[in-house]
Amino acid sequence: MAAKRMSLRDKYNRMTRDLAWDFSYQDPKKIFEQADFEGIKIEDWDKWEDPFRLTMDAYWKYQGEKERKLYAIIDAFAQNNGQLNITDARYVNAIKLFLTGVSPLEYMAHRGFAMIGRQLPGVGPQVACQMQSLDELRHVQTQIHTISHYNKYFNGFQDFRHMHDRVWYLSVPKSFFDDAASAGPFEFITAISFSFEYVLTNLLFMPFMSGAAYNGDMATVTFGFSAQSDEARHMTLGLEVVKFMLEQHPDNLPIVQRWIDKWFWRGYRLLTLVGMMMDYMLPKRVMSWKEAWEMYFEQNGGALFNDLARYGIRMPKYWEQTVAEKGLISHAAWGTFYNYCHAAPFHTWIPEKDELDWLSEKYPDTFDKFFRPRYEHWAEQEKQGKRFYNPSLPMLCTTCQIPMVFPEASDPTLTSYRSSVHNGERYHFCSDGCKDIFDHEPEKYVQSWLPVHQIFQGNCGGATVPDVLDWYHLRDGIDNREYLASPDRANWERWKAGEEEAAELPKAAAG
Amino acid sequence: MGYQLTIEPLGTTIEVEDDQTILDAALRAGIWLPHACCHGLCATCKVQVLDGEVELGEASPFALMDFEREENKCLACCATLQSDVVIEADIDDDPDAEVHPVEDFRASVLANEVLTPTARRVVLELDRDLPFQAGQYINLRLPGVDQPRAFSLANPPSEKRRIELQIRIVPGGEATTYIHERLKAGDVLDLCGPYGRFFVRRSHAGGVLFLAGGTGLSSPKSMLLDLLESGDARPITLVHGVRNLAELYDRELFESLASRHDNFRYVPALSDPAAGDDWQGATGFVHEVADRLYEGDFRGNTAYLCGPPVMIDACINTLMRGRLFERDIFMERFFSAADAQQVRSPLFRKI
Repeated sequence: MAAKRMSLRDKYNRMTRDLAWDFSYQDPKKIFEQADFEGIKIEDWDKWEDPFRLTMDAYWKYQGEKERKLYAIIDAFAQNNGQLNITDARYVNAIKLFLTGVSPLEYMAHRGFAMIGRQLPGVGPQVACQMQSLDELRHVQTQIHTISHYNKYFNGFQDFRHMHDRVWYLSVPKSFFDDAASAGPFEFITAISFSFEYVLTNLLFMPFMSGAAYNGDMATVTFGFSAQSDEARHMTLGLEVVKFMLEQHPDNLPIVQRWIDKWFWRGYRLLTLVGMMMDYMLPKRVMSWKEAWEMYFEQNGGALFNDLARYGIRMPKYWEQTVAEKGLISHAAWGTFYNYCHAAPFHTWIPEKDELDWLSEKYPDTFDKFFRPRYEHWAEQEKQGKRFYNPSLPMLCTTCQIPMVFPEASDPTLTSYRSSVHNGERYHFCSDGCKDIFDHEPEKYVQSWLPVHQIFQGNCGGATVPDVLDWYHLRDGIDNREYLASPDRANWERWKAGEEEAAELPKAAAG
Repeated sequence: MGYQLTIEPLGTTIEVEDDQTILDAALRAGIWLPHACCHGLCATCKVQVLDGEVELGEASPFALMDFEREENKCLACCATLQSDVVIEADIDDDPDAEVHPVEDFRASVLANEVLTPTARRVVLELDRDLPFQAGQYINLRLPGVDQPRAFSLANPPSEKRRIELQIRIVPGGEATTYIHERLKAGDVLDLCGPYGRFFVRRSHAGGVLFLAGGTGLSSPKSMLLDLLESGDARPITLVHGVRNLAELYDRELFESLASRHDNFRYVPALSDPAAGDDWQGATGFVHEVADRLYEGDFRGNTAYLCGPPVMIDACINTLMRGRLFERDIFMERFFSAADAQQVRSPLFRKI
């Protein structure tokens, strides 16, 4: 009989775990100095089950081929003027939101996984973190390269990295990741790999990528596919991490539960921007935020938490709140951006009649009653030449940094306000979820870089709106304000008219 | 029509329908393959084709690379068979698994006796030896019943010709009604087997815990007899839960084994003793009795569960609360067509 084949697991072990070594003359506590302070107890790192078995040499081959395919499609998109095939120039604003709000997070994820890969003492998670770190670097690069094509034709893309650090609403995604990266390695990986990648990522990727497909943006669809083949690995890593911590020691349960509660709420609040994008920014809509939340969280997430219940984990705290307010948050957010888009590098608009009807149909309990009249009022003002821009600065939630615009689910005519006093100062929050997070670690969140406070303190270029816009590198009248009056729209109308004229020319001349 | 699929490193061969994907066929046969998206995008279910031809289906070019197509890889969630095929999947070779080929047998009924008011013991004489691993099951064909039915073997593997089945009567059930009302000694039946990956992990150190509910006793009985015959010295506990004394069976056998083997503990448990039962033993459901026996700490054991789904579920919860996790919990799970459609657990592979 022939020698027994080496199983994939054995082959994998030879190329990964067997490459690690024991420390003989240095104290492991000094080598992995962040391994203990969060209170997570690991008795046996060898019990870690690698969620996927991929060795570095195979990894390079995969990613190399993915890159070749992706760039071939991006090149074809550019050569064929793919930007003209999208449904409508309004769609491009969703891509602006993605590039300024999401792509820099991919870069932060790259850094974060590199940091914790160094800090986690087990070789299994070290290898997984190394690969994920490289994945994330690839994701941010491919996104920048793909979207750079739009930068040639549309405004607002040109300084996305600079804006990510400065523009008021971009502090929402930025502070989310900064919060995770300034925690310990176990909290970081729970926050990003489990709460975000596993529980919530479908709600980030699905809307953007399906939205791109529905709206003719094949370049974005392609980087979506290219990234999705990595996401499956990231999600299984998130599950394995949580299982591993829970199985290793009973003392880990309350710590992990608190992280799940915290990062579910942080991630959910961040997804407000996605909900707004789905309901308002896609000329051709995929599904409503409410439908997406029902499908991806209430149904799929419920199944996951049923399983986790065996470990003693319960549903994330305040999940009922997310269900109670699913008919409210996307509208509150778009209304806010409509108010403040003179200070944002993308355009807003009042949905057209058929779009308002779609919202009424998707949100029968809330839209007509609380939001539609507002939009109709603003539309009327706009027609009279009085397009409304809010001249004041909004109050921000100290935790999620979103302006305090969320309605109370029990009475949506009221705004939800919460507050806590710490060392004689009062801090404000949009929700019980955000207040709880602050109350547990006040010393961390009192350091929050809140954009409105920073403007008032004179740290953002000056005291007037033009000063702040300069500091943002935002070109007033070009990158911002009402879509109907924007150069983007004027260009788009010109290009589409030109296409029609070209189509009407005799064939010989066109060829 | 259809083809045969052999899955390495298990060495198990299963039947696959023409339009059936490799993943679907494997899961229905009770073989877990890694998978996630189930529509060709995520590459979690990638397997190596060692022999034979497959149709790759709708595998995304970003999930199944060109170089991988050249290396004969495919995505199990979209690949279908064009011939008999051998694949190697990213699953762990179980050092305790024996490989016994599935064969067809002819059997004559030696006995069909009343075991309890709701169960029968059927003893069959086979036309030749049936080599199997304790814990496995056979598919039995009954006259006038379309699909074969699965029954666990209650005899130890040392008895290769005379097999024992313990059959609960399902009210209205086509097959069990036939067995209950019509099957008699001398009848001849067709069966095939052995099937299943429920067997004792002898490589696991520490105690062995069998949790059986009702006629779920059959597999544990075979496994236990096999362990004791081989002189296994580990502490072994069998908790057998039934409703009342009338439903308890094979009690004398296990009591006698317990008296002869110091390492074997037998704990019959009644969940609902009848008025005249005069029961001095353990009462409660299987998971409750086990929880008390082990004082809520199952670490260091390997558990084997067999019984109705609610019992299995309650036992898993109790074991995990007592810090015994998936790698040390085993059970028989019959996948029906309906099960394969269900939402599968994202967190667990087999429990």
